[in-house]
Amino acid sequence: MNIIHEQEKKQFKKLFREQGVDQFDKRFQVLESFLKSESHESSQEITKRLNQDNIFLDLDFVTETMTLLCKFGFANTVKFNDGILRYEHRHLGMHHDHMVCIKCEKIIEFKDEKIELQQVHIARAYGFQMLQHKMEIYGLCSKCLDNRSFVMSLALAKQGEFFLINKFQGGRKIQIRCASMGIKIGETIEVISVQRGGQLVIAVGESRFILGRGFASKIMVYPSNKISIYSNELNNFADNKKFCCPNILLSEMKQGQEGTIVKVSGKSVLRRRLLEMGMNRGTKVFVEKYAPLKDPIELVVKGYHVSLRVKEAANISVQNIKCRK
Amino acid sequence: MKKLTIALAGNPNSGKTTIFNNLTGARQKVGNWPGVTVEKKEGYIKKNGYNLKIVDLPGTYSLTPFSIEEIAVRDFILNEKPDVIVNIIDSANLERSLYLAMQIIELDCPVVFALNMADIAKARGISINKTKLSELLNLPVIFTVGNKGQGTELIINTIIKEAESFSLSPKKRKVKYNREIEYLISNLKKNIEKKSLSLVSYPKRWIAIKLLENDKDIIEKLKKIHQNKIDDLINLADKYRARINFFFKDEPEIVLTDDRYGFIAGIIKETVFVSIRKRIDISRNIDLVLTNKFLGFPIFIFFIWLMFELTFSLGSYPMEWISSGVSLISSFIDTSLSDSIIKDLILNGIIAGIGSVIVFLPNILILFFCIALFEDTGYMARVAFLMDRIMHIAGLHGKSFIPMLMGFGCSVPAIMATRMLESEKDRILTIIITPFMSCSARLPVYIMLAGIFFKDKAGTVIFGLYLTGIFIAILSSKFLKATLLKGEDAPFVMELPPYRVPMLKSLIIHMWERSKMFLKKMGGVILLGSIIIWFLFTFPQNIQFTSDYSKAINDIKIEYSQKIASSDKTNKQRLKKELKGKIQIIEETKEQERISKSYIGMLGKGIEPLLAPVGINWLSGIAIVTGLVAKEVVVSTMGILYGVEKEDLGNAISRSGMTCLSALSMMVFVLLYIPCFATIITIWKEVSINWAFFNLFYTTFVAWTMSFLVYQGGVFLGFG
Repeated sequence: MNIIHEQEKKQFKKLFREQGVDQFDKRFQVLESFLKSESHESSQEITKRLNQDNIFLDLDFVTETMTLLCKFGFANTVKFNDGILRYEHRHLGMHHDHMVCIKCEKIIEFKDEKIELQQVHIARAYGFQMLQHKMEIYGLCSKCLDNRSFVMSLALAKQGEFFLINKFQGGRKIQIRCASMGIKIGETIEVISVQRGGQLVIAVGESRFILGRGFASKIMVYPSNKISIYSNELNNFADNKKFCCPNILLSEMKQGQEGTIVKVSGKSVLRRRLLEMGMNRGTKVFVEKYAPLKDPIELVVKGYHVSLRVKEAANISVQNIKCRK
Repeated sequence: MKKLTIALAGNPNSGKTTIFNNLTGARQKVGNWPGVTVEKKEGYIKKNGYNLKIVDLPGTYSLTPFSIEEIAVRDFILNEKPDVIVNIIDSANLERSLYLAMQIIELDCPVVFALNMADIAKARGISINKTKLSELLNLPVIFTVGNKGQGTELIINTIIKEAESFSLSPKKRKVKYNREIEYLISNLKKNIEKKSLSLVSYPKRWIAIKLLENDKDIIEKLKKIHQNKIDDLINLADKYRARINFFFKDEPEIVLTDDRYGFIAGIIKETVFVSIRKRIDISRNIDLVLTNKFLGFPIFIFFIWLMFELTFSLGSYPMEWISSGVSLISSFIDTSLSDSIIKDLILNGIIAGIGSVIVFLPNILILFFCIALFEDTGYMARVAFLMDRIMHIAGLHGKSFIPMLMGFGCSVPAIMATRMLESEKDRILTIIITPFMSCSARLPVYIMLAGIFFKDKAGTVIFGLYLTGIFIAILSSKFLKATLLKGEDAPFVMELPPYRVPMLKSLIIHMWERSKMFLKKMGGVILLGSIIIWFLFTFPQNIQFTSDYSKAINDIKIEYSQKIASSDKTNKQRLKKELKGKIQIIEETKEQERISKSYIGMLGKGIEPLLAPVGINWLSGIAIVTGLVAKEVVVSTMGILYGVEKEDLGNAISRSGMTCLSALSMMVFVLLYIPCFATIITIWKEVSINWAFFNLFYTTFVAWTMSFLVYQGGVFLGFG
């Protein structure tokens, strides 16, 4: 990555000098700070970090510079559902899509060749020439999913989530009132939006309701496995090798899963050793099992079995995870 | 007759050794590679007017300079220039095997590919187009099935043909890289040629590639020969490395490795066809049980128990035969020679010394047989797989478990078993801590002392001692890892080979080779050691005794002869016995006094002040010194010192003023102090003399400290 960044800085110097952009040094500082972080940042955040590094520039200048950077192709703007304008690095020839966690606002970058290809196919089928696209998947990241308590109050729901109603708190009165509206135990709720002040717009069946925050807090719900309606399709999808997911670490794979190695990082000695043993880019790797004490992992690579410590397996990124029976 | 040197190279588990055994039979010579403790095997055969010397190179996955085996292989090929290299390839694993093959081809020497285990590959539905492979790489390719002996003749014939044709017209084979890299390689090569590094006979292109890969070993070798002459060459290589880094955004080593795999992928595409005919994978099914979440450990413990049971119970029968044989010989010598110093030397020095080692031969044979069985079936790798987590806590490798476990039997084979550890650091660490595993020779000492002083709690005390040993081993490992053997853990990248039915022939060869090494090494050292101890015991000869013992014996004899003469028949027997006993007591007192005035007695008195703080008196001190020869000797020495047969030793020792506490202190000392001569010598031979000395001082220090803590702590708490 650093090599790319050095290249970017060189190009920046060339381009901005040629164009005679003013306040070159200050703008270069903005670029350097921007390149430091791999996350998606707003101009406020960049200004803040510059301040921490004892570089004091005002927000408007930073925003203006960022706009310039976008103009010259060093940055891209991204706007997720929260409406804040953020910037990300734009490395030429490299494209990626985003997954946004609606809870912790973590942004995961991924790239999947098959989706990219599929888009071209779809566009072509409509006689449409695709130039650009944006793909954003909203949902809960694995960490938030794990942390989420099972039964919770509807008031804590986020926009777009699906729930099943578990029970009502606060006595029969509320339950009867809800029931009269068709909000019954076991019914599925979709949270359409969360307004300011905690007002919820929800959909139950075909009808929409607006609930106050206090009222919503008395409805206990648990996450619906609405997605599971699709899960069969997903599995079929996976079997058809069309379903792809972002890179995960080999150490995160479960027994019986198979994936393709996309990257081997870590110390040179370990990397070479892994490469010598045939774990190079593009190789399929199957997790045969974990040792009884969960440490070394047994893998099948190129038709033979090999064991690795979990710590070492964490140096290998894997893609296209699927289950093999 | 013309001479040819043939080297066998290949991945571990590719069946190299089986083919080597097929080719050479029992005509093998086992030794070490110069400077390193990697086993070197050689064999000789005669064929078609050629004298073939066959060398079995260690199994490696690559020829990087990271492990001693790999450097040994590389140096052999480069320096000894074998006439033909036979690259043994696991046909079922062609892609990975070809990686090593590419590196061997790059070394620019005549190569023959033997696609071994052709039957397994076929069963898995893999068919390899051998003519195509041969054409693509421009070298002869043959199929073999090692464990069925197929293709042995073919290998020899092909070797001879290749050697003949290569000497006529050397073939040019090249592993092709990316265009950019090829350009850099040829530039570097030109520069190397310009420099005319006449002193190095290595292939120029290979040197260029190694310079790009920043191969420390080669750079150092070049520097040694050419000194400053090659500085600009290295600078150029550095510049090129930076360039590759810039272009490919990765380290040159990785880029080159990737490229080799690319080249291999091309070959595979053209030569290998996989028909989808999946057979039941037997190995996987065995693994479902043997490395099962719940069954894995119990089965493993059972196997280990079985190994020990076989070693020590089954081994005890031939052990008895051998020891009775030894005593037969010694009694024969006793009667046939007249009393003299020489006879004493032969009896108590030489025969006792050799006897004490040879007695272990059955144990060692069985132990090595079991280990060879574990290794050849492929279970050893699973042991490492199961145990790695636990061993890793102590900073060790999963494979270290086996040597440490063997340490409970005998440290010498245990230390020799560390050869299976790949990383030198892991090996040294395991070797240094293995002697803390209480070896079987120390058990008699515990049994005797604990039996006398702790009676019905003896079992618990002995168990506690074993645990103490393990605990100290773990602590030592942690300590050494943090100080002398600092650094990253070696990566645990280990192949789990398919289970195979072992061949009896190779098991026996394996077992015998190792046992022979043991006997050879130990015999000499033990002999020397026991002669020294004998000398210390016997000299000086002219001792001034405090009382006239022979006169006392005579007096008693006269006294009893009168009594016997005047008594009836039944009393006569009783009196004769009494007489014999009395004479024995006098002789023993004499022997005790003699020993206390011999060199060993002086030594014992000399070290007394050192051992006093840990509660060990000078008599036990002598026993501890003699225990350096072999730990078994401790008990028998105490027998001599206290002047009684083993059965009465208990009473004698408790009479001598030893308390429970000092007995415990002594046992802790025996548990931890210097392992026997044989072990020290083994460490010397396997690692270095420095580490042997380190072990000597370290164990003594630990033993003294621990005993001191036990004894003084006990006294402080009022147990004294």
